[in-house]
Amino acid sequence: MHDRLTQSMRASHLLALLFVLASLGLAAIGAVTGDTFYLRLGTEALIFAGLALSVDLLLGYSGALSLGQALYFGIGAYVSALTLMKVPSFWLAMAAAFAASLLAAIIGGLIANRVRGVYFALITFGLAQVFAKVVYNTRELGASDGMIGIPVIEIGFGPFSVSAGSPVGFFLVVLSIIMGLYALTAYLLDTPFGRVLTALKANEKRVPFLGYSVWRARMAAYVLAGLIAGLSGALYPMLRGFVSPELMFFATSGNAVISVILGGVGTLIGAIYGSVLLVILKSIIGSWTEHHLIVIGALFMVCVMFLPKGLIGFVRPRIEALLMRRPQAGPALAEPARLTPAALKSGSAS
Amino acid sequence: MTAIDYLQFVLAPQVVNGLALGVAVVLVALGLTIIFGMLDVINMSHGEFYAIGAYAALALAAAGVGFWFLLVLVPVLMIPLGMAAERLLIRPVFGSKDRHVTTLLVTFGLGLIVEDVLKIIFGANTQRPPTPIPGASEMFGIILPNYRLFLILVGAAIVLGVAYVVYRTRLGAMVRAAAFDRNMAASLGVPVSLVYAGTFAFGVGLAGLAGVLLAPIYSVFPTMGRDFILLAFTVVIVGGMGSIWGAVVAGLLLTQVQALASLVISPVWTDPIVFGTMVAFLVFRPQGLFGRLGHA
Repeated sequence: MHDRLTQSMRASHLLALLFVLASLGLAAIGAVTGDTFYLRLGTEALIFAGLALSVDLLLGYSGALSLGQALYFGIGAYVSALTLMKVPSFWLAMAAAFAASLLAAIIGGLIANRVRGVYFALITFGLAQVFAKVVYNTRELGASDGMIGIPVIEIGFGPFSVSAGSPVGFFLVVLSIIMGLYALTAYLLDTPFGRVLTALKANEKRVPFLGYSVWRARMAAYVLAGLIAGLSGALYPMLRGFVSPELMFFATSGNAVISVILGGVGTLIGAIYGSVLLVILKSIIGSWTEHHLIVIGALFMVCVMFLPKGLIGFVRPRIEALLMRRPQAGPALAEPARLTPAALKSGSAS
Repeated sequence: MTAIDYLQFVLAPQVVNGLALGVAVVLVALGLTIIFGMLDVINMSHGEFYAIGAYAALALAAAGVGFWFLLVLVPVLMIPLGMAAERLLIRPVFGSKDRHVTTLLVTFGLGLIVEDVLKIIFGANTQRPPTPIPGASEMFGIILPNYRLFLILVGAAIVLGVAYVVYRTRLGAMVRAAAFDRNMAASLGVPVSLVYAGTFAFGVGLAGLAGVLLAPIYSVFPTMGRDFILLAFTVVIVGGMGSIWGAVVAGLLLTQVQALASLVISPVWTDPIVFGTMVAFLVFRPQGLFGRLGHA
């Protein structure tokens, strides 16, 4: 028997499996019909889903709202673009983006984790804005135009290789990377480290009394989120063949936050569904009006006000109930008490 | 060039221009800091309210309303808007567990909508209203645009007026009391819910006033709020969230840092310097220069 957190993560995994199956099905349809546009759009949605995933890791688990997660996404994209223009190697570009976003996230984390709450939101917002402005004005990085002419690469997996120019092939590569990042995050959240993170959101004051370092956990979450954003960003120039400072602007960070809210905070898979939903909404609304922000803004506000758990938060309890109904081995009482938000809350005196 | 010449022709105009920008930033930050100090709400749509003010001024000026009348009319028109926003958007989520984040997100969504609405009504092009006070005057051998001098004076008057209302009147005492302890204030007969709505509307009105005043200098376009909002947030953090004097001191200080730094280094790098100042403040003095509104 598992505690509630594991139970709800299982529901998320089921939804993730559904997502992968649906993606594979659509990719197969796309491959058969020889479609390029929708597969590329889907790939882009997946790349931004990685960014949303990193926002959800921070907001949904450690409870810190980052308004500048696009910073790491942009760093990943630029570093990947620069690497690809020198050496067109997928793995080298990913490694460089990993290293750069690791370094940037450590520096950014040292600054941002001095503060919490709204200050954290504002300082991450500011960090991204300032960095984007510097990139915007640096001629070596293409200034406001960004960089174009990033070569189409061959991605080698041992004996096989996939061209980033092939819509289906690259879609599958991105799908496996993003779902890999999802699996990694979900796994880490199920370890004791993950429980400390959820404890932070539930009751931060109590965490140090249980012998855990708040700062270390927040820092780890921040760096992990930065890495996820950076690796997702590294895929962007491979898809589009260019990078621009817009990738770091607030609009990008804001879209990630919108995706997370639409999909459901603290569900991980919600971020991915939300990102896809946002792209679908944008292209549907965008086909009859260019003013899609009104609809998305309104939908976002409705979600914040009336549906705080988002789309997945609405669906997941039903799936959880379904999972619970299946008989599981062992009685529920045999489980020793674990560090769960509920246990923390009921134990807090204040 | 001698040292005196440098002082007179390079440094002094830069300081005055920095001062004009400083007043502009303080005007935008003032509403932001009051709303935060009072309601504990980070108003992400503040920049958009500032843009609404500027567009309202533009539209009313086209309809033949004089500039002086606009200075009063636009803030007054903004007040019902602010009241409605508080009632419909802030109030329903005010009691939620994660109030800071929720209200920030709601106002962020509002900002998105407002920006697009402005685009639909007025188009995406940049418009520039004529300067209400044309010409320039010479002071100490420096030529300064009249409108900037006017802005500095009006800005000072507005700040003093707001500070007087907040710190020296009965109304201000009620506002501060409600910010300090809403239950205690309520039991003493302060209409807390009205005070909250009123304060939010007041902050929105200030943003609108800033829009009217700054439109002739910084032009009017749907995303105009974004240019100011980062600097305004920086000012609010450095000054101390919710402190009026903090916003003034920090606003003037940071814009001087920006103005003077741009003499020495490329203007591109002044933003990181200003932001670096904010980071340093957060590291060494997280509560900012001054304490919060209502907290002495």
